[in-house]
Amino acid sequence: MRLQPQSDMASRTVFLLFFVNLFVSWVSAAPLTSERVLAVIEEQSDSAKYSQFLAGLKGRGFDVKLESVKKDTLALFKHGEKVWDHVILFPPKFKGYGPALTPQQLLEFTKLGGNVLILTSPSSIPEQIRELARELDIGLPPKDYIAVDHFNYDTVSNSEKHDVVLANRPAVSPAVHNYFSGKQDDLIAFRGAGHTLGNGPLLVPILTASRTAYAYDSKEDFAYAQDPWAAGTQMQFVSAMQARNNARITLVGSADMFSDEFFDMKVQKPGSTESQKTANKEFCKDVAAWTFGEKGIVKVNAIRHYLSNEPNAPVNPNMYRVKNDVTFEIELSEYDVDRWVPFKVPSGDSLQLEFTMLDPYYRVPLLPASTSPNYTTYTTSFKIPDQHGVFAFRVNYKRPYITYVDEKYSVTVRHFAHDEYTRSWDISGAWVWIAGIAVTITGWIGFCALWLWSAPAAARVGLKKTE
Amino acid sequence: MPPKKNLSSTQTAPAAAASTTSATPTPHNASPSDPLSILGGILNTYSQSTPQRTKLIDAFLGFLVVTGVLQFAYCVVAGNYPFNAFLAGFCATVGQFVLTASLRMQSDPANKSEFASVSPERAFADFVFCSVILHLFCTNFIN
Repeated sequence: MRLQPQSDMASRTVFLLFFVNLFVSWVSAAPLTSERVLAVIEEQSDSAKYSQFLAGLKGRGFDVKLESVKKDTLALFKHGEKVWDHVILFPPKFKGYGPALTPQQLLEFTKLGGNVLILTSPSSIPEQIRELARELDIGLPPKDYIAVDHFNYDTVSNSEKHDVVLANRPAVSPAVHNYFSGKQDDLIAFRGAGHTLGNGPLLVPILTASRTAYAYDSKEDFAYAQDPWAAGTQMQFVSAMQARNNARITLVGSADMFSDEFFDMKVQKPGSTESQKTANKEFCKDVAAWTFGEKGIVKVNAIRHYLSNEPNAPVNPNMYRVKNDVTFEIELSEYDVDRWVPFKVPSGDSLQLEFTMLDPYYRVPLLPASTSPNYTTYTTSFKIPDQHGVFAFRVNYKRPYITYVDEKYSVTVRHFAHDEYTRSWDISGAWVWIAGIAVTITGWIGFCALWLWSAPAAARVGLKKTE
Repeated sequence: MPPKKNLSSTQTAPAAAASTTSATPTPHNASPSDPLSILGGILNTYSQSTPQRTKLIDAFLGFLVVTGVLQFAYCVVAGNYPFNAFLAGFCATVGQFVLTASLRMQSDPANKSEFASVSPERAFADFVFCSVILHLFCTNFIN
């Protein structure tokens, strides 16, 4: 049984996928979801600032098209279909993004599966982006609020404001898929505004500010630490929302982070003796790769369930009987930049199978049974509960940073047929009562024989009595 | 026990003869207040005045009681799994007991006045028919 990775993916994608799999040795790199990238920038000449980042994207097989905000014909859709697969929004200098990039348009774009990477800078956060952020439950600071950190700033750029904040790579949790943690001594230079996240379950932080960072109004010199807009780890530098259809919107608080200047910058922490190169290039590549679906895409290759004890049992039958022993298998792949690799569940996490009828009757862990070059097979065996009805095998694995896995296959569970119960002589406990019946019947036969044999005597006795 | 028995048997000998002669024409001279004598009297009366077929029925009934008690005791001790097997085995014994008791009532010459229309042959035929049905039911039910 072949399954589509995501229900909303077009057949075109599957077709492309097929070729990706087939010619993976010839194609050096190919993004999974296809490669048409729209980069919206104020002036074409500004793109020189981000040349390394854009060149990196092109090098990985993306077809990046730079478009000016002012261009009239700029559109995300044509005939109701999206004409781009991914959008990068560089911060505009003065006004907004124009009529083609309203929040409604951008959300419509994500509904069709498009990914959006939004870069902002403190001096120009257009109203359109603020509105979009409000919809996503992301809190953006007012204009000209910047993030500073007086303990982790860059001493080389010699800014008295301490506004080039140096952040470490995100920490790795054993329970979470993490695509953004490189070497732990990497430093990421950041100059811009932080933001805060609401309680939306689809929001995930990517790069969080350190405990000593805070944001304040840079136009008010004396505001400093007295009235911070956000402080400590409540402030995020980079965060993302993965919608229910797996489309991704990533919001970056600093456009400078992606610039050539920061890619090549040598930074030095206060107290440190030597300067080191920033890890911005690698980190920004990771952010873009994740946002544009090069990483964190999980695919279900196949699902199989069958009777455990029968060697030639049919696969994926529609019906089981209560108390059957059943084995369930699921093959999972993960896309890694240019090919499918076996999906691994993090050590602190667990992939589970639910056997549900309204409520889960069982929730059992799926364990890796075998690994092929392209997928891992997770499997589990269990006994179907003593309850008939329509059940569903369900794998509901929704974790941050990876596409959602929610597979549900219903089967009918019937009760025993009348000839499927164990025969009484197969149960040793019943032997006593079988013997009871046998003895009763044997005794009865003996009794009948004696009764008939003793007839004359009985008649004689009867005669005597009547006399 | 032995001294008491001797004592009572010697003391109440004359009274016993008077009371027992009216009920049963036995030459036994047991006392009515002596439990063993009464028991002996009953057994004696039973062995002499009960028809042989009725004695046969009583023996079979006794056999069924023993079988039933054994099965029930096993159920109490070893548990009732599989329960339908227990039901089938125990019901076979109890049902057979009930049918045999019915046969005893209908075939006993002492009850002839109550079952005037039922001859002993007819009663036996009914008994065989019902017993066969019972056995079929039980062997099916035990699966």
